[in-house]
Amino acid sequence: MKKGKTGTKISLSALMTAAVVLLVTLILVFVLFFFVRLYENSITNNSVTSSEQAARQVVNTVESYVEDMEEYIGYISDNITGAFMLDEEMREEFFDLYMALRSEVVVVSIYDEETGLLSCWSGEQEQKEKSLLLQNFAYWDVADEEEISISKPHVEALLESYYPWVVTIGRSVVSSDGHGYRIYMDIRFSGISSYVDDVGMGQHGYCYIVDMDGTLVYHPQKQLIYAGLKEEETADLKNLEDGSYTISNVIYTVRTLENCNWRVVGVSYVDEMITDKVQSMAGICIVLLLMVLLTAALVGGLFSWVLGRPAKRLTNAMAEFEGDAENFHFEPIEGAASEITTLSESFGHMVVRVQELMEKVRQEEISLRKTELNALQAQINPHFLYNTLDSIAWMCEENRSQEAVEMVNALARLFRISISKGHELIPLEKEVQHAQSYLKIQNYRYKNQFHYEFDVEESCLPYLCNKITLQPIIENAIYHGIDRMVDEGEIRIGVHEEENAILMSVEDNGVGMTAEQCREILLREPGDRSGIGIKNVNDRIRIYFGEEYGLQIFSEPDVGTRVEIRIPKRKEEGEYENK
Amino acid sequence: MKISKRFKQVAVVAFGIVLLAVCYYMGIRYIIRSLMPVDAASEESSSHYVVLVAKSTEPNYWKTVFAGANVAATEYNLTLSCEGPMSEEDYQAQNEIIARAVEDGAEALIFSSIDYNANAEAVDAAAAAGVEVVVIDSDVNSAAVSCRISTDNYEAGKMMASAILENEADELNVGIINFDENTANGQQREEGLRDGLAEDARAQVAGMVTVISTEEAAKEATIGLLKENPEINVVVAFNEITSLGVCYAMEELDAGDEVMAVVFDSNVTSVGMLESGAVDALIVQSPYAMGYLSVECAYELINGIALESDAVDTKTTVVTRENMYDEECQKVLFTFD
Repeated sequence: MKKGKTGTKISLSALMTAAVVLLVTLILVFVLFFFVRLYENSITNNSVTSSEQAARQVVNTVESYVEDMEEYIGYISDNITGAFMLDEEMREEFFDLYMALRSEVVVVSIYDEETGLLSCWSGEQEQKEKSLLLQNFAYWDVADEEEISISKPHVEALLESYYPWVVTIGRSVVSSDGHGYRIYMDIRFSGISSYVDDVGMGQHGYCYIVDMDGTLVYHPQKQLIYAGLKEEETADLKNLEDGSYTISNVIYTVRTLENCNWRVVGVSYVDEMITDKVQSMAGICIVLLLMVLLTAALVGGLFSWVLGRPAKRLTNAMAEFEGDAENFHFEPIEGAASEITTLSESFGHMVVRVQELMEKVRQEEISLRKTELNALQAQINPHFLYNTLDSIAWMCEENRSQEAVEMVNALARLFRISISKGHELIPLEKEVQHAQSYLKIQNYRYKNQFHYEFDVEESCLPYLCNKITLQPIIENAIYHGIDRMVDEGEIRIGVHEEENAILMSVEDNGVGMTAEQCREILLREPGDRSGIGIKNVNDRIRIYFGEEYGLQIFSEPDVGTRVEIRIPKRKEEGEYENK
Repeated sequence: MKISKRFKQVAVVAFGIVLLAVCYYMGIRYIIRSLMPVDAASEESSSHYVVLVAKSTEPNYWKTVFAGANVAATEYNLTLSCEGPMSEEDYQAQNEIIARAVEDGAEALIFSSIDYNANAEAVDAAAAAGVEVVVIDSDVNSAAVSCRISTDNYEAGKMMASAILENEADELNVGIINFDENTANGQQREEGLRDGLAEDARAQVAGMVTVISTEEAAKEATIGLLKENPEINVVVAFNEITSLGVCYAMEELDAGDEVMAVVFDSNVTSVGMLESGAVDALIVQSPYAMGYLSVECAYELINGIALESDAVDTKTTVVTRENMYDEECQKVLFTFD
């Protein structure tokens, strides 16, 4: 169907290969673009979830840490004017114990609103002399209210030869006697760092803590940032609500602590988590595609080997058979797929059968024609016979017995030669006699309206020719050429030897024919008037001697007609005579 | 004829099968490799070996360099070894360390030279053995150095000069305590200082001593210099150890008010002195950045990544008593542990 429409020939194997490749490509592309997207989304969601979980973990830890500190400050402020402050021994004991337990607490200090530093505990670290203090009151405004507040990170300035980075948690207290105090705790990051540093967020993800202004509080790589070797875009996060944000392949998870002004920011990279996996999946898909392509090509080749090639050979054999059915020889195709072998066998059977049938038809045609001709030869135009017998009867009445005898003799010879014991081929001598007898009879009947002459080479006489060859042509010359003439007609019959053939000719000077009539006469079947048509003569010669022999008609209106009959030189009866 | 045709067919089929097998094998291997966890692949590549050769291992300055270098080594998955001689004059020990590092298969050398010329040969030899060379802190006379990461020493000297010129005294008689004359950075700093002082008529160099790099020697030299030249009212030193010596001398002489001391680098002691008033200004370099960047540079060199530039100047800050607790100065002075 398709082949017919487009006019291009598509081979079976190519079609199959294309179909397989197309199918697999479609499936893989679908997988690549659909499932990979699905996968990507789920991984992004997963990483957002895990990032949020990690951030929440940090938030919880830091919150409870800050809570601890608050409770502690709360305890001091509750007791700032009570027995606790007054009993120095008890107080020192309490702070010594506390500082020993909480190593990240560097300094606890209490300030009087008016007189400044009241007392200060720093555990094992030595404090600077008060006169030397370059007091770092950058965090003084931290504790304006009776609420916990937390400073930006700064360096501890109260200690001798020890400068750790700390944040200060502070609170102001008004005692029952109306006196104002401030309580500060300076805390190192060691308590927080272990939680923040170890939180796992993908391969290179991390968490850090900023305050509400976007100032870094704690960062796992803080020293790198302080040394100017790394940057963290904290300013942009200032205005963000809590939640997760994906900004150019980086997932930021922001959470605000409930009990202080800190925010935890989780940073994880989408790139490293997803892109690698997606790329490797795409790689796998492409490799699979290539493998399938290769397989399809090979399978296609195999199909063409097993199916296509024999099919093509079969097609070629059929085309060849179409061209020349008679001489075609079919070799069955072996070693192909069973379908093709079956086809080939059937075709082989068909070829043999067709060739048998063709031969049979040919034989039948030949024998039919022969029978037909024999039957025709047996016929003599009844009119001719009646007329001749009428003429003889009339001669007898007129007592022209001599003429009557001649007529009867001629008639007898005519019939004898016509029958010739059933032989088709007779010597030319007999054929010439046949023609002479016929002309003699016709000449009596036409009362010498024409005269005739024979020009026969003696050497030709022994050769064989079809019987009743000349008579139909002479008959035609008389009826169509001479009969209609006013002047005396003339018929010349010649038999001459050529190099490889015998040339018989019948020439008249009658009315002649047009070229069209000449052609027609060789095609027309005989009618009632004439016994054997000119066509039959031609056909017979050709059947017996081959296509290169037969009749040729040369004619010119009002001048005359010349019919040439060419037959081979043959002295023995051929194969056809025996059939 | 028929046999050869048959043979040809068999050959084609066999070739096809072999091709198919090879392609499938490669394809499946690729897929399996892609499906394997990424860690396995990165573990395969053994980490590169990098050696950092310092002038010394004890001073806070060098410890900070090592800290920065170690952070970078962890980040870039390098094996780093930080080494240095016992004394800051022992350039021969440095040469030996370099030779040993080359023997041990170091792929990159990060080097701070004690002797600008005497260390050159060892560095050239290392480079000839295929070792990438990065110079930090102090330069060496070698064409094989791929990258130099250090303080702009001349500029640091000038900064020192302008810190001195802040002093409003009518005359500024400067006493210089310098270390090894063959060390490039010390000489460059001194040159910068002298050029800076020359811009002001009040200032002149009143005395100069070169000492070996120990606290004791520097202290003695400072005391000696001040005693010999009582007109000296400014003292300077150019590295951490000699600076400490100056600090101790100032403390011992209790000359904090009369004599201005401007010294290099910071550690807990010198910061304490600054706070107490014994010392007036610190020229603080960025050793942490120097260490980190040098290892990063070594990583890039080993992996054939093009360097952004072959010379990096790290930051220098002048810290005085007034600004030492500023946010920026805090970050410079105190490392975040």
